[in-house]
Amino acid sequence: MSLVPVYRRRPSPLHVASAGATTALCVSLALVCALYDHPVVVVAVIVAVIGAGLAAGVGSEIARAARLSVPLALLVTLINPLVYAEGNTLLVRGGSVLGHRFDITLEALAAGGLAGLRVAAFVMPFALFAACVDPDDLLRSLRRVSYRSALTAALATRLVPVLARDATRMGDAARCRPHPPGRLAVARAALSGALERAVDVAAALEVRGYSAGRRSARAHRSLSRHDVRVLTAAAIVVSAAVAGKLGGVAPVASYPVLEITLGPAEFALSALLLVAAAVPFAGRSARLGVAHA
Amino acid sequence: MPEPVVSAAAFNYRYPEAHAPALRDLDLELEEGSFTVLAGSSGSGKSTLLRALCGLVPHFHGGDVSGDLTVGGLSVREHGPAELAAVCGTVFQDPETQVVMGGVRSELALALEHRGEPAAAVARAVEEVALAMGVAHLLDRRTETLSGGELQRVAIAAALAGRPALLLLDEPTSQLDPVAGDELIWLLRRLNEEWGTAVVIAEHRLERCLPAADRVVAIERGAVVCDSPPADFLAWAAAEGGALATPVARMFSLAGLGPVPATVKQARESLRATGLAEVGAPAVEASPEASARRLAWRRERRPAPALQAREVWLEIEDGPRVLAGVELRFERGEKVALMGRNGAGKSTLLRLFKGLQEPTRGRLDCSGEVALLLQNPGDYLVHDHASEEAGEAALAAAGLAGRGQAHPRDLSGGERQRLALEVVLSGGPCAAVLLDEPTRGMDRPHKDALSQRIGELAAAGAAVVVATHDTEFAATFADRVVLMGPGTVIADGPPAEVLAGGWHFSTDVARTLGGAGGALTPEQGARLLARELVG
Repeated sequence: MSLVPVYRRRPSPLHVASAGATTALCVSLALVCALYDHPVVVVAVIVAVIGAGLAAGVGSEIARAARLSVPLALLVTLINPLVYAEGNTLLVRGGSVLGHRFDITLEALAAGGLAGLRVAAFVMPFALFAACVDPDDLLRSLRRVSYRSALTAALATRLVPVLARDATRMGDAARCRPHPPGRLAVARAALSGALERAVDVAAALEVRGYSAGRRSARAHRSLSRHDVRVLTAAAIVVSAAVAGKLGGVAPVASYPVLEITLGPAEFALSALLLVAAAVPFAGRSARLGVAHA
Repeated sequence: MPEPVVSAAAFNYRYPEAHAPALRDLDLELEEGSFTVLAGSSGSGKSTLLRALCGLVPHFHGGDVSGDLTVGGLSVREHGPAELAAVCGTVFQDPETQVVMGGVRSELALALEHRGEPAAAVARAVEEVALAMGVAHLLDRRTETLSGGELQRVAIAAALAGRPALLLLDEPTSQLDPVAGDELIWLLRRLNEEWGTAVVIAEHRLERCLPAADRVVAIERGAVVCDSPPADFLAWAAAEGGALATPVARMFSLAGLGPVPATVKQARESLRATGLAEVGAPAVEASPEASARRLAWRRERRPAPALQAREVWLEIEDGPRVLAGVELRFERGEKVALMGRNGAGKSTLLRLFKGLQEPTRGRLDCSGEVALLLQNPGDYLVHDHASEEAGEAALAAAGLAGRGQAHPRDLSGGERQRLALEVVLSGGPCAAVLLDEPTRGMDRPHKDALSQRIGELAAAGAAVVVATHDTEFAATFADRVVLMGPGTVIADGPPAEVLAGGWHFSTDVARTLGGAGGALTPEQGARLLARELVG
């Protein structure tokens, strides 16, 4: 079972909407994480993604990605106070190594926690993206912009599980040797195997006419009701996030004293994010069709 | 007279930095709508010829070219793979690396989209090729969820989507079980007949392809050594020592019968015409009493087994039941072929014995070290020099004495496999040696060498268990065959008992002779026929 979510077609508005629309929603949620480090807003993004994921039937995929992000968040939380010694509230007075004092302050620890939370939140929209957006549809929609880059991205998506399987196989083979080789040797061999795979895939692309460089005319596709709802949600998220930022909503200061503003504006912004994430799933028109025999 | 779809005149090719040419003085013409099999030992130049026909040689691999080679009227020296893709589709050995996209529908559409076809034409072509190849039900599936056989069909469908005049396939059945392999060959024959697509297929298991072929081109050391219809090719192969002859052809040749038949059907007709239709003893049937006696003898008399599985189950979370109460016992010195279709649980059982996986229920006992060689020998070779993988003695045992400085990836497939086997055996005497599909892509001389090595290991006291789809190989080396259904053992006995009366899990000799006398190999069949002739 892969920690990185893999796309599977499911009957949900996020899967049925065009790849571009769902990508826009995921990118808009990631944008909020890029603009804000306020814990209430960041937690709102996490909740919004989990809610959207559950409604789209990819809750387990999102949960696996969340598990993947926890060690990363903890790492950031623990490293920050070791790197930054600013802050007025001293918790631990450390020694001096090569002229650098290792004092741990409450503010640095809290700032590390906020940064870790933000890292974890940043992973979540991408997990939703990986679980809900068909890479092939995305390639098709990006074809006019940058065909080769889009194809490379699609290939990378396709090859990640293949290379992961290769690495697992090599690990098993190493365990079968009476004197198992070092991890570095296995990693090097796995990398070299990945390069061989890449050459094989390049050959396969060549015989499919890749370097002919022609492109099909794009089939016109009008926006579906699901596209409209998902794009509306993305627009609400982006508008609220940008407007809030310009209006100075949800400021956070870590040093010298931790200051987190908790007012109606912050809660309103967070509520708006949650409502926006629910828009694709709300109402009768969000329902999918029913097959009749 | 149809136009040639392939025309070669004095074509030569040498890989960059290689000393000897990979293709030499190639003169060849393949007609439109023909079905051609490329035969030859490992490293003879079959794959290089296919790569030249699709333009990868020389445009992708580089190297020196001389002479002429045209495909669909396009010279491969002047036109690259992308232009040649309009006239020829190519399918390589490993479907995993030639399926490029995440979804089946996108995969089938890719080549047409590269050509700039309108969206409506792409959609129609995808639908048609999916129906023709029997993959319409897979169109909305993700490629990573497909089985090996499904992936291979999708790869062929993707190569055919643009309706090329020529389809090139490099050992397409090497990763498939006998059922899926036979189905694939007959599907190709149907496409060849109904669509008029010329097919060129490189295969080691000629007995599988020859019934469908119009013509066989044998290549040795890069040169064409025989180019004729299947029957004439088999007569030539028998005269040349039989390394490329099918089992039935070898049986006829050894028995001194002629003409050499190309198919099992022809062989039966030939025997009927000679009055040998009802040869020898009837098929060996497994009586319940005999099986019970054998099992009781095994349990009571023998010392502790090398390996034993008692009521072993393996169930996967959210997945199928892989093993369901497997009861097996392998004695020291036994040579066992573990057979069954893809997904029957053969590889899983070997992994459990080695301890790479844990059963969910049941017990596994091993009376000593267990050596396991998995399907890809290259996975074992992680260093830059062969000498770092194994000591001098092991290199010598692998036939690589004096080649310790060679990079393992520069070794041939057979050499890699021999080296990997010696690597897993380098820990000292083993109670059991387990080999998982060791004959994939292997020619007959290499199989014979492996069979001999298996004999040596068994003689040294190890139980040798080989999971294989290759019935001909199993008949050669095994003294016991265990046939698995999905997760369970469905037959267990001597090869003559399990394989002689089978349909898919049977050798061509047994099919030809109707299982008579339990003859499985060409030598056994020839002896039986010779006895009948004398009688």
